[in-house]
Amino acid sequence: MIAPHAARSAKPAPAVIQLSYAEAIAQGLAQAMELSPEVLLIGQLIDYSPGVFGTTTGLAERFGKNRVLDFPVAESAMTAAGMGAALAGMRPVLIHHRLDFMLYSMDALVNWISLWRFKSNGESRVPLTIRAIVGKGWGQGPQHSKSLHAWFAHLPGLKVAMPATAFDAKGLLLESIFGEDPVMIIEHRSLFGLKDRVPDVPYRVRFGQAAIRRPGSDITLVGAGVMVPFALRVAAQLAAQNVDAEVIDLRTVSPLDSETVCKSVEKTKRVAVLDPTWASFGMAAEVIARVAERHGRRLRADPVRITHPDSHTPMSSALEAVYYPNEDDVVKKLRALVA
Amino acid sequence: MVNLSHQSILAAGRYRDMSLAGVKPEVLKGLHRFMLRLRRCEEALAQEYHPADEMRCPVHFCIGQEAVPAALSELLTKDDYLFSHHRSHGYYLAKGAPMPAMFAELYGKETGANGGRAGSQDISYPAANFHSGAILAGATAVATGAALAFQMKGESRVTVAGFGESATDEGIFWETVSYAALRKLPIVFVCENNNYSVFSPLLKRQAKDNISERVATFGMTSTALFGNDVPLVYKTLQSAIADARAGRGPSFVEAYTCRWSGHYGPASDDLVGYRSEEELRIWKENCPIALLEEAMVAKGLLAQDQSAALLKEIDAEIAECFRFAKGSAFPKPAEWTAMNYASSSPAADRLLTDIDVEAFDHDQAVVQAKGY
Repeated sequence: MIAPHAARSAKPAPAVIQLSYAEAIAQGLAQAMELSPEVLLIGQLIDYSPGVFGTTTGLAERFGKNRVLDFPVAESAMTAAGMGAALAGMRPVLIHHRLDFMLYSMDALVNWISLWRFKSNGESRVPLTIRAIVGKGWGQGPQHSKSLHAWFAHLPGLKVAMPATAFDAKGLLLESIFGEDPVMIIEHRSLFGLKDRVPDVPYRVRFGQAAIRRPGSDITLVGAGVMVPFALRVAAQLAAQNVDAEVIDLRTVSPLDSETVCKSVEKTKRVAVLDPTWASFGMAAEVIARVAERHGRRLRADPVRITHPDSHTPMSSALEAVYYPNEDDVVKKLRALVA
Repeated sequence: MVNLSHQSILAAGRYRDMSLAGVKPEVLKGLHRFMLRLRRCEEALAQEYHPADEMRCPVHFCIGQEAVPAALSELLTKDDYLFSHHRSHGYYLAKGAPMPAMFAELYGKETGANGGRAGSQDISYPAANFHSGAILAGATAVATGAALAFQMKGESRVTVAGFGESATDEGIFWETVSYAALRKLPIVFVCENNNYSVFSPLLKRQAKDNISERVATFGMTSTALFGNDVPLVYKTLQSAIADARAGRGPSFVEAYTCRWSGHYGPASDDLVGYRSEEELRIWKENCPIALLEEAMVAKGLLAQDQSAALLKEIDAEIAECFRFAKGSAFPKPAEWTAMNYASSSPAADRLLTDIDVEAFDHDQAVVQAKGY
């Protein structure tokens, strides 16, 4: 499958298997724990057989409950303790079933973890990975569905990844675990069943390098996480209407690969950002600002943000249906830009 | 003392229970020298703070609270971790971190412990495993994580978390003692109960002045003591640290004490009217250094002129620290990103495989096919 690309690279082609997003994370965690005794997992209920939606299944049996550590419902202390363990030489991975619960950790993240390297003048490091899962649909409601990547990306010293594919979920996870900075990985629950080709070696996907998921020439669609497959489906519909959209997957929100986005917009002269959260003060605004700073006067259409309304998430499926972006509406809106 | 509280300490007046028994003379001399050095250092910094205004950062002086850091200086090894609060100078010195780098840090100089990034309330010295932070109880939880790592690795290192009683107003403190007790972690919590969160007294913030009793119910050894009795503080912490090192679990030590200076800065803030002159007078009468000196002189462990000789030596060291700090250069502007993020990833370079990632970028048929 990867043979056509082999000529471009001297790197050996690894064996590739089909894994779901959740299975790829589980494999990444297992390989990290095999590679280094410094890696430990901390989270609520992570040592029970279901694992965390299949992402930790079998790890407690394999690596012991000392390294796959169930933690009390004390998210605040858990995050700070993760930092302390990192300061003492470990590479902890903290796991939250829902991002909303980890908001008790904001002091640890904002006042301690993100600034520790800075305030020690580079002499301390906090290699800590935090996995936070975001719910969507089936009545997750306002306390189980928030994708707060913009909050975290606002902080200097903290990196933020939002993998859209099983391949990236594993590669970015390993890159985080064995990197030297604290990382938030935002995982959208609705991606967990998604299957992808995943190399079986422990490989790296670097931060700040966006992927062009679909090349195109008429409009640039920028997304991350769950909005990447959405954007690809929108692009497929647009193609049927003779609009050739380029789809960029940011992969990491911080650092943000402005280069790839700006280069694409230089070509297409149009940009829409698909951001799975509220519009105000968010990632979409940031991407558009960066594009505008570079190409503002050369755009052929006003930039577009495709986001949730500035409202908390409703439970009722009837309201969910209008709360989350609708593919057909987005296609219509974007089609009009290229007219 | 039974039912120790700030009230009972003030009612008792002059403290008369100090005993040197069970502490070696060389340790007593070490405790004395440490406290004298710390006191002198703080007094010199306070004197220089205004009107020179060359130390342009908030400084929380620890005059009056020398006993706990002194005891720790005699008990911790270099490998042990120490986390401190914003009143950090005593803890910094207790971990053997260099005094010149501390002064230079306060002056915001490149030669400072943190190159002028942190200042007094955020100072750290990672090479000596000393860390501090100003947001109170957060540090107790971070310290607990270090203890968790030591336990997992089967090491005999311990962590000490020093904090003020105001940190126990915050919920994360209670999460932390609960978890430390549950896991029997090698950590000692030292609460310097100086009764005030800036101006606000403990009994205005909590229903009872009995923090150590409450911590005991979480399942760890918990002791309240008169915190200006340095031999007592030393012996209590010695046993707590030995327990932690031997895997017998965490301890909590509540040392009742008093800061003589205002909450921050060299000036008194007593004009606010939050504490009485009488209260401060009784605490000053119970100066930890004077109490120890009196007891040591009575036992013939300290000659009258010895303190003067010590002071001369300490003052020379402090003068040298000022020269070093004032003579050092300010940090040069640097790349902001490099100050906040790592510029290399040696572990990832060593352990992970580089593959042709782009080969996987384009073929997204699988991704597109999936609906949500």
